[in-house]
Amino acid sequence: METFNGLAYGFSVAFTGPNILACFLGVLVGTIVGVLPGIGPIGAMALLIPSTYSLGPTSALIMLCGIFYGAMYGGSTTSILINVPGEAASVVTAIDGYKMARKGRAGAALAVSAAGSFVAGTIGLVGLMFFAPPLASLALEFGPPEYFSLTLLGLIFLSRIGSSSALKSFLMVALGLLLGTVGMDLISGVPRFTLGYLELGQGIELVPVAMGLYGIGEVLMIAERITGIPDLIKVKFCELFPTSAEWKKAFPPMIRGGALGFFLGLIPGPAAIISTFAAYSLEKKLSKHPEDFGQGAIEGVSGPESANNSATAGSMVPLLALGIPFAPPTALLLGALTIHGVQPGPLLMTQHPEIFWGVVASMYIGNAVLLILNLPLVGIFASILRLPQHILMGLILLLCLVGTYSINNSFLDIYILLTMGVVGYILRKLDFDMAPLILAVVLGPILEKTLRQSLYYARGDAWAILGRPVTAVLLFIGFTAIVFPPLVRRLRRAHKEGSVHS
Amino acid sequence: MIRTQSIIYLFLCILGAIYLVGGLSLPMGTVNQPGAGFFPTLVSVLILCLSVSAFVLSRKKPTTTGERKPVFPQGQDRRRVIALTLAILSFVVFLKPLGYCICSAGLMGATLRLLGLRSWVRIVIIAVLTALISYYFFVLILDLPLPIGSLLF
Repeated sequence: METFNGLAYGFSVAFTGPNILACFLGVLVGTIVGVLPGIGPIGAMALLIPSTYSLGPTSALIMLCGIFYGAMYGGSTTSILINVPGEAASVVTAIDGYKMARKGRAGAALAVSAAGSFVAGTIGLVGLMFFAPPLASLALEFGPPEYFSLTLLGLIFLSRIGSSSALKSFLMVALGLLLGTVGMDLISGVPRFTLGYLELGQGIELVPVAMGLYGIGEVLMIAERITGIPDLIKVKFCELFPTSAEWKKAFPPMIRGGALGFFLGLIPGPAAIISTFAAYSLEKKLSKHPEDFGQGAIEGVSGPESANNSATAGSMVPLLALGIPFAPPTALLLGALTIHGVQPGPLLMTQHPEIFWGVVASMYIGNAVLLILNLPLVGIFASILRLPQHILMGLILLLCLVGTYSINNSFLDIYILLTMGVVGYILRKLDFDMAPLILAVVLGPILEKTLRQSLYYARGDAWAILGRPVTAVLLFIGFTAIVFPPLVRRLRRAHKEGSVHS
Repeated sequence: MIRTQSIIYLFLCILGAIYLVGGLSLPMGTVNQPGAGFFPTLVSVLILCLSVSAFVLSRKKPTTTGERKPVFPQGQDRRRVIALTLAILSFVVFLKPLGYCICSAGLMGATLRLLGLRSWVRIVIIAVLTALISYYFFVLILDLPLPIGSLLF
């Protein structure tokens, strides 16, 4: 009952003028960045954080969340119409979506993907509503050792699940932790690695780092290979209706994808991307005709598209209930909330119910708006791709530079942005995953603070930390995540070599 | 690829070593009461261990034909990336003395030219329009205090 009262209160918050406008703008920008290959939701969120300064924290979070889940809707459009995923979580959709488009079923693929996103987004939101409050109540019992082990586990998982090798990902985590230590020590006030710059005493801002790595870095990548305007498959409104046989095939994967995506969203890592691959494999395994997958199977569109949407709702649970982001977009949401003077965590729901319930309610509204935007207006969004790349890239550069400057009116921030842009470009070229770096910049200070508090608390007694059940379990899982995979690989190799010899 | 990666790992080793020296120069405290240098020292040791391991592994790994291909672009493509980076740097350097309008028009013009627009007339028109519209939006609507430069715009 309390949950439904909370939701009703959330709707009363979300249905105010500024919040409705923020929600609409967020999902609109999200759809546009989802459609455009290159600038993904992380880059767009980083770009728009400075523009939220004039808004209240609830409106700011509603708008940024809108970009996050809106991009998941928009990403499928280009995957289906031109075989170019608008963002990483839509890569899998391109496999069967584009094949369907080539067979003249582009409208059905787009409709199923939008409907699946809506159904799964709603499943994810129901999960968020029922999971976050009990988790937050549980987290009230947590002390620094639990938070330390949870943060450490988040970083370990992200390094293990990321797209590059584990060693490279751990290096990115270490580099992010290094950047997180720049500035005044939170406990003693000693300046660290500030190189004599007073401005660095506040630490390195997240926005120039994220904008540099994802915004400028991507523009430099695009500058390397100039591409023309792609040929689009035109879809008429009357073609946007799947047949009843297609609906029948597409509906169960939406439910399964929705549930799978939500639970994967709770785990640290790029859940929106992983969930699409997991949902695709699941549907292929469950299908009576697995040979159709890759040839235009509608289940291969509805499953992954549903999973990535509910994963975004799932990934909001650790942020809103624990105050710990487990994915780069939620790390940016944390950064935005901190800028607005709000500390997410177990007390958020009691101290700022308007933020928690307002955001949850706005996500219901946003999902409905996205369904309307993405079906009849799909042609308009697809035509954004006709905007010449040179104009788009020029605008992105200006937004990055002005956005970064406007945080503190600081030239140092713009130099950091440019440096991170070049670093981002080099890292992309060398196949490094940047998500662990961004997350470590955000989680580093939390990790350091909780580690030092835990050590104070333990007073030299290791059992005072390891004897706490939650801490012990989390540290054990983290240890297993590091040791187990290489051990299994080695055993498999030995087994293979043994069988070859025999 | 492998050679470039080795250079990056070596760079990270050096960065880790410098960071370690910096961390050790800060108050270390004790295990019971860690000081400001405790965590940076831990992180620098982590960077050193990881980058040394990665460097050694990258040297041991046999190079395949695919990995011999250059990582970074060559010729015209390389020049384009460098020129765009320099254009962004110029924007930052000249923003204070010249002001936002001139710098943004310059950066937009450079981006348009470098990313394939050939007509100078169109470049000038788009660059000037973008600068004026964005100035109106950022300064007059959003009230952002962007540098106006000595020419007062």
